[in-house]
Amino acid sequence: MPRQRKKELAVAILVDENSRVVVQGITGGAGSFHTKRMLEYGTKVVAGTSPGKAGQNVEGVPVFDTMAECVEATRANVSVIFLPAQFVLDGAVEAIRAGIKVVVVVPEHIPLVDMMKIRQEAREAGALVIGGNTAGIISPGKANVGIMPDIAFRPGRVGTVSRSGSLTYYVADTLSSSGFGETTCVGLGGDPILGTTFEEVLDLFDKDPHTRAVVLVGEIGGVYEEMAPPRIATMTKPVLAMVAGVHAPRGKRMGHAGAIIEGTMGTAKEKLRALEEAGAHIARTFLDIPLILTRLGV
Amino acid sequence: MRLYEYEGKELFKRESIPIPKGRLATDAESALKASEDMGLPVVLKAQVLTGGRGKAGGVKIARTQEEALRCAKELFDLKISGFPVEKLLVEECLGIERELYLGISIDRVRYRLAVIGCPEGGVEIEETARAFPEKIKRVDLKVTEEMLPHQAIFLAKGLGLGGAHLRPATDTILKLVRVFRRYEAKLAEINPLVLTREGKLVAADARMSVDEDALFRHPELSEMGIEKRHEEGELTEREKKARENGIPYLDLDGDIGMFPGGAGFGIMGIDFLNFYGGRPANFMDSGGGPTPERLAKMLELLEDNPNVVAIFGARFGGISRCDDFARGVVMFLKEKGLTKPMAMRMTGNMWQEGVRIFEEARKENPALFTNIEIYGIETPIEDVAKRAIELAKTKKEGARGGHSR
Repeated sequence: MPRQRKKELAVAILVDENSRVVVQGITGGAGSFHTKRMLEYGTKVVAGTSPGKAGQNVEGVPVFDTMAECVEATRANVSVIFLPAQFVLDGAVEAIRAGIKVVVVVPEHIPLVDMMKIRQEAREAGALVIGGNTAGIISPGKANVGIMPDIAFRPGRVGTVSRSGSLTYYVADTLSSSGFGETTCVGLGGDPILGTTFEEVLDLFDKDPHTRAVVLVGEIGGVYEEMAPPRIATMTKPVLAMVAGVHAPRGKRMGHAGAIIEGTMGTAKEKLRALEEAGAHIARTFLDIPLILTRLGV
Repeated sequence: MRLYEYEGKELFKRESIPIPKGRLATDAESALKASEDMGLPVVLKAQVLTGGRGKAGGVKIARTQEEALRCAKELFDLKISGFPVEKLLVEECLGIERELYLGISIDRVRYRLAVIGCPEGGVEIEETARAFPEKIKRVDLKVTEEMLPHQAIFLAKGLGLGGAHLRPATDTILKLVRVFRRYEAKLAEINPLVLTREGKLVAADARMSVDEDALFRHPELSEMGIEKRHEEGELTEREKKARENGIPYLDLDGDIGMFPGGAGFGIMGIDFLNFYGGRPANFMDSGGGPTPERLAKMLELLEDNPNVVAIFGARFGGISRCDDFARGVVMFLKEKGLTKPMAMRMTGNMWQEGVRIFEEARKENPALFTNIEIYGIETPIEDVAKRAIELAKTKKEGARGGHSR
């Protein structure tokens, strides 16, 4: 399929060309590698942190010991975390308390209690924490915060929100090659407890004048897809939904008390049913997405 | 990560939640000895990392020594949902007046701990919750919020306990919350919580699951022998081999081997192949940033699987880079060689370098690549999935043709 390019003004949610990004853990392997990539993309990476390494620089980006010093010196307003999982609680809370409003948590396997504490802290401060285990946020042509591969993305008019990094890439790949492009792609993350949920991102897309439709990508397990339908029902823009795992073998169950809370939630079929009932258009494969968007006149 | 009942009870004991007298046995003779020491009758309970033990015949009561030995032998011969019984918990029999339910879990929708009580324990609590939701009492706690006595009293009353029972019930509830927090549980359940004929409250069972990602903070658990463990019952030989190499892998019953990147696409790939009329032979996930060695191991699992006739490969480089991916594939081709046809797509971070590595290896030894079709971003992933299905069909028809007379 030839790649079409449409010139179109696209604006972003959460991050854009004015975002001033800090990399927490910038001196580590993943931190420095992805700092380079983000800079190459044009993201304004203004600083990094690594306790004890203040005064150094990575790819020309100055390193600070603490987030407070970093924010004071650089007016940073977005952070991306590349720290080992056991340090994420401290790193995220430090960022929120330093005044950062968008914190992107790339590492996976963050203890559940830590993620719940981070969420509580973020809510109280009016900040948004994306992840853990997220590929990040990209607003094509403006900023790439995290680990998403640039090649899949083109500026455009569709927003995407997904729990899976790999599926985000394939959706963007489809949107880019069919000419729709993306305003912003948000990876919610694959960990069991997430800092931000689908309906919160849907809300941002609904308010963004440049996003004309939203693609929501879910998967089996967990409860977050089932929280989205009430928001989908009130959206002023079409929502396309895709859920991976319709043919997956039955997985492990969490246990009784969990089952009481979560009921029949968690299966792909149940999620698709709930999303469709709320008015979402169901895509069975990536190629369905441009077909549905065209049909809807997006 | 699930704990055995006896481990859960050990944690209860440390928080002084009353549990029955009991002892662990690893063979029938030691189970008999335990029941003699404890005094008959006893209850013998298979220790397995799965639910539905009672229904599967994993719990037996012995009134005599002969019975104790026979029951123990029977239990050790049992396999429950694929788990062989290797340990028995031998316990005193409780005189049961009433059976109640008490449990704590994490509510991921509300970001709270949910403490749940029900006056009808001992049975399938989900069924009770569905049929009689009004019987379920619940207190929500913020992650940093202590449970206060009045909240525990509310739950205790919800269990139908009052008068002299109110105080011990309140204590047990507060202690269970402490156990949950202290060891970072995902689930802590007492079902049944028994009110004995003597008027005592005893945790007759313990079902606990702890957060495996928080184990690094809990050396006390590893001192008890609680380490990361698998809890999926019996594994196939390939699943075992994958596990030894740290690769998430599941055998399915189809014939197309899947060699994908992230778990999300690993799951979606199963749907895709099914949607286009193919049958996947496995689920697999490379994990973030896999080494070339690990990728080579993944291919080996498919090459060595006799059910696999063709391979569907997909790599969208993110934190896992295409150059590393190509190195892993080339490493495998050089060391072992691929006899099965593979259609794969590679794009994403470092794809140019990945293509270069493939081209170089192909120039060096074109024979290595005779079975492999490599596609890039210009080909939709659906087309590559369809191609893999086609390859599987051709290969099977070829094989059938060869054997026909």
